[in-house]
Amino acid sequence: MTAQVTREWTGIQQFPAATQNKLHELLGKLKQENVSTLTILVMGKGGVGKSSTVNSILGERVASVSAFQSEGLRPIMCSRTRAGFTLNIIDTPGLVEGGYVNEQAIEIIKRFLLNKTIDVLLYVDRLDAYRMDSLDRQVIKAITDTFSKRIWQRSLVVLTHAQLSPPDGLNYDDFFAKRSEALMRYVRLGARIRKQDFEESSIPVVLVENSGRCKTNSGGEKILPDGTPWIPNLVEVITTVIANGSKPITVDQKLIEGPNPNDRGKFFIPLILAFQYFFVVKGIQRAIKQDIKQERKPLWELRDMGLANRKF
Amino acid sequence: MAFAAPTQLLGPQIHSSAAAPRRRKYMPNDGTIVPTTIIVRARKKSLAAAPWTRKHIPYGRTIGPTTIVIRVCKKYIAPFSASVVSVAAAAAGGFILISSFPPSPPPIDGGGGGGGWFRGGGGDGGGGFWSNLFSPFVALAKEEGGGGHGWDPHGLPANIVVQLNKLSGLKRYKISEILFFDRRRSTTVAGTNDSFFEMVSLRNGGVYTKAQLQKEVENLASSGMFEKVDLEGKTKPDGTMALTVSFTESTWQSADAFRCINVGLLPQTKQMEMDADMTEREKLEYFRIQEREYKRRIDRSRPCLLPVTVQREVLQMLRERGKVSARLLQRIRDRVQKWYHDEGYACAQVVNFGNLNTREVVCEVVEGDITQLNIQFLDKLGNLCEGNTQLAVIRRELPRQLRSGHVFNIEAGKQALRNINSLSLFSNIEVNPRPDEKKEGGIIVEIKLREMDQKSAEVSIEWSLVPGRHGQPTLASIQPGGTISFEHRNIKGLNRSIVGSVTSSNLLNPQDDLSFKLDYVHPYLDGVTNPRNRTFRVSCFNSRKLSPVFTGGPGADEVPPVWIDRAGFKANVTENYTRQSKFTYGLVMEEITPRDETSSICTHGARALPSGGLSMDGPPTTLSGIGVDRMAFAQANVTRDNTKFLNGAIVGERDVFQVDQGLGIGSNFPFFNRHQLTLTRFIPLKQVEEGIDKSAPPVLVLHGHYGSCVGDLASYDAFTLGGPYSVRGYNMGELGACRNILELAAELRIPIKKTHVYLFAEHGNDLGSSKDVKGNPTEFFRRAGHGSSYGAGLKLGMVRAEYAVDHNTDTGAVFLRFGERF
Repeated sequence: MTAQVTREWTGIQQFPAATQNKLHELLGKLKQENVSTLTILVMGKGGVGKSSTVNSILGERVASVSAFQSEGLRPIMCSRTRAGFTLNIIDTPGLVEGGYVNEQAIEIIKRFLLNKTIDVLLYVDRLDAYRMDSLDRQVIKAITDTFSKRIWQRSLVVLTHAQLSPPDGLNYDDFFAKRSEALMRYVRLGARIRKQDFEESSIPVVLVENSGRCKTNSGGEKILPDGTPWIPNLVEVITTVIANGSKPITVDQKLIEGPNPNDRGKFFIPLILAFQYFFVVKGIQRAIKQDIKQERKPLWELRDMGLANRKF
Repeated sequence: MAFAAPTQLLGPQIHSSAAAPRRRKYMPNDGTIVPTTIIVRARKKSLAAAPWTRKHIPYGRTIGPTTIVIRVCKKYIAPFSASVVSVAAAAAGGFILISSFPPSPPPIDGGGGGGGWFRGGGGDGGGGFWSNLFSPFVALAKEEGGGGHGWDPHGLPANIVVQLNKLSGLKRYKISEILFFDRRRSTTVAGTNDSFFEMVSLRNGGVYTKAQLQKEVENLASSGMFEKVDLEGKTKPDGTMALTVSFTESTWQSADAFRCINVGLLPQTKQMEMDADMTEREKLEYFRIQEREYKRRIDRSRPCLLPVTVQREVLQMLRERGKVSARLLQRIRDRVQKWYHDEGYACAQVVNFGNLNTREVVCEVVEGDITQLNIQFLDKLGNLCEGNTQLAVIRRELPRQLRSGHVFNIEAGKQALRNINSLSLFSNIEVNPRPDEKKEGGIIVEIKLREMDQKSAEVSIEWSLVPGRHGQPTLASIQPGGTISFEHRNIKGLNRSIVGSVTSSNLLNPQDDLSFKLDYVHPYLDGVTNPRNRTFRVSCFNSRKLSPVFTGGPGADEVPPVWIDRAGFKANVTENYTRQSKFTYGLVMEEITPRDETSSICTHGARALPSGGLSMDGPPTTLSGIGVDRMAFAQANVTRDNTKFLNGAIVGERDVFQVDQGLGIGSNFPFFNRHQLTLTRFIPLKQVEEGIDKSAPPVLVLHGHYGSCVGDLASYDAFTLGGPYSVRGYNMGELGACRNILELAAELRIPIKKTHVYLFAEHGNDLGSSKDVKGNPTEFFRRAGHGSSYGAGLKLGMVRAEYAVDHNTDTGAVFLRFGERF
């Protein structure tokens, strides 16, 4: 199923010449920066077009795509080399199952990614989804919890089904702006990044259209409604993200399991215990003594103790 | 009998009043003393005993020291709490008073007079029944009249006035009307309100012989209250008689000072006989001596407890009246005695008014000084026997106020009763003050105890229905269960005990679920006589509880339950500071085994997948990861509790701090500090007076609970959110399982009749610490990690019926819960 063996990237030849040239140019640029391997992780909810995007980028049918059936639960890694450059794309199963984030799927992805380095995360969603809800936030949160906040510095949001006619009264650009703004807000909430930090390092949004009915330009390149060919555009954005100075994410045991909370603060236990004894326990004991002192004794007892002085 | 001495006083006193009215003493209580028994029982049954005791009443012409028996009857060992409640109920519901008189006390010569002032220890019973009970002469007539019901018509023409000595000595007259005629004021005093009425023991509708009526007149005449008393009969057409008591009240010089002295335990002064043929000079000398002696007596007397306020009140009474009359003295005595009895000094009595005919009225009171404290053990037949319990154990439970040298107070007696009862060593406890025969005015407090059996064993069997697959029990699921328990109490008489029990809910397969418990309790660790109250406790235990950690969130599929089996050993020392506040510290060693439904060890929590399968990769159940944890840790708990009941509502403060300190001993060397602090405040929102019939104040309850664990934390020790004792409106653990916890709650209780309604709002939060529990059970089982709820409820006895709205889903539900939330 998974093609672990690194094969020659033959799919690139199917692309129109303009696209091929552009891709070669971009890959060459990466090579100049001493980047010879590029690992792209594709994640998102189910049915948003992750596998199709992978197929489109590689120009091959590596991931099985069908209209109504969800893919299997296993991630797929496709590795292709071209002129000494290796491109790894990891396609993952949808993260949502039954209205919840599927932790099992995340668990499997984590184990799959063990000892791999992720250069770029593509968070895939649909452009034509109008509404966002807490589920989106949970998905983002799950990704954040898995790979830490840092991942968002190496990620871009991909909106599929770019070729659409927006609802009445909106032009395409406005719709796109609104949609990406809403999505970004959820990313920020889900990833719990402070607004300021988030604005400083904004996550780029890229449009994608995987459909075979995608318009092409004169060169045969698939283009977006605004006329830009999207595959070179996507790869270009990816290269800029790589070049933004942040470090790739290496998935190791520690990252998967997180810091062991059982070890945190163990050193302070003797101190905590001392504090508890001298301040809390002693404090409560003092309060009890105060209570005993202040206890309102019945009158007969006071009289007996000679405290009444015949006043009552 | 005790208290016989006042007779000696009385005799000459009355003579002197006749001879020389310069100074007289007025005796509210006369000589012969018959103890009245006032029994305070915790059982309603004693009411039924009342008619029986009436038979003895005929002889109760006079009153003496009262005996108060406070008794708790307890039949079984088990309902400890029930019997405690019944004591409280008796205390709240007033006393059941029963007077009983032993047969035929010899009337002491000369001291025959005196009204039967029947004043019970705890207060006036009130109502027809009691007045009936306290009027002995009705019964007297019945008994001495032979048949008890018949009476003879007077056989005279109607409406003629008959002198007492003209009546026939053979007939039994029925009295249909009693009138009082005050000669000085020339008015007829009718009705029962007048203070004289209670002096006269005759009652409407009673049947009396001539001899009895004559005796009555004699009594009245010699009581010191009247200068002259006559009794006249008037015939009535229906054969009955109307009686007219015409009297002249005794009066003395007006006074403007009042003094109350405690003459208890003072030897009575010997009174010199006064010869009738003394010369004026001798008489003068006699009075001077008497005066001097009385002064000395006053000097030697101790100050009494009567507060200045009551004294002032009495002074006001004296000033208003001008002349000191017998009625006034009677009212003063009533007022003074009422104060004593209201305050619980059940043995206090006004015995004498001295210094009459001077400017100062001296009220002599015997307050009931305790001379001796006796602790006695009774066997099953009620005979005295030697007890197994060491006396020091009982003595340390007694309030100081019951020791000799203190004034007896019924509240002290009740407290002693409660304290001894809380030892739960005795099936029957009586605190019984009785007059000291050797020291007049003294009280001996007798504590009679009936010990429970030291050893007991019990076997009980029960049948339980176990819900099956779909919640319906099947025939096969009806299981016989049972408990075998044994107890060895009061070892060495020092209240040490060993209690053990074995319980299984399925006797057919007891190995499935067998819980045992073995406790050894060793009180008075620092010695019985040491006031420091530390108790050492050792117990072996096992328990099986459903873990709320492995519970699904709202709407989630059912989570396979995980049972936590704990078996271990615990040793701790509890130091009691007060009845409610205490400090416990000790060591716990236990083995924890999480099990699944089939009783096999489970290492990880499981969750049902949408596909129908089970995912077994949930949070680990144990620290070791192999399904069995063994650990030893130190545990300390300090509780500060000063809550009390204010007219049925709890008010006060309760703080609990508990810490479990791992010692690094056990599987994976667990080292941790798990602590929690609970603060609860019950704030009354209105100032209310304390009293039995007073309404309870509305109470605002504020509650906060903080818990945290640093270091190794196994899932079974994680704090869980949600549930009737955490955040109401959610199921146990429905909100999450976390490392740090914060719960806040507020409840407003508004009393309605005997119960209360309440409004509440609660919030629970994991403080983001769910992810710090291994495996993140909160997330794994799709729980929110925090939640709020609000609602309202009604308290019905032990049951709380409440409607709670859970804020996460905004849905409400009705819950029925047992016990208190706080």
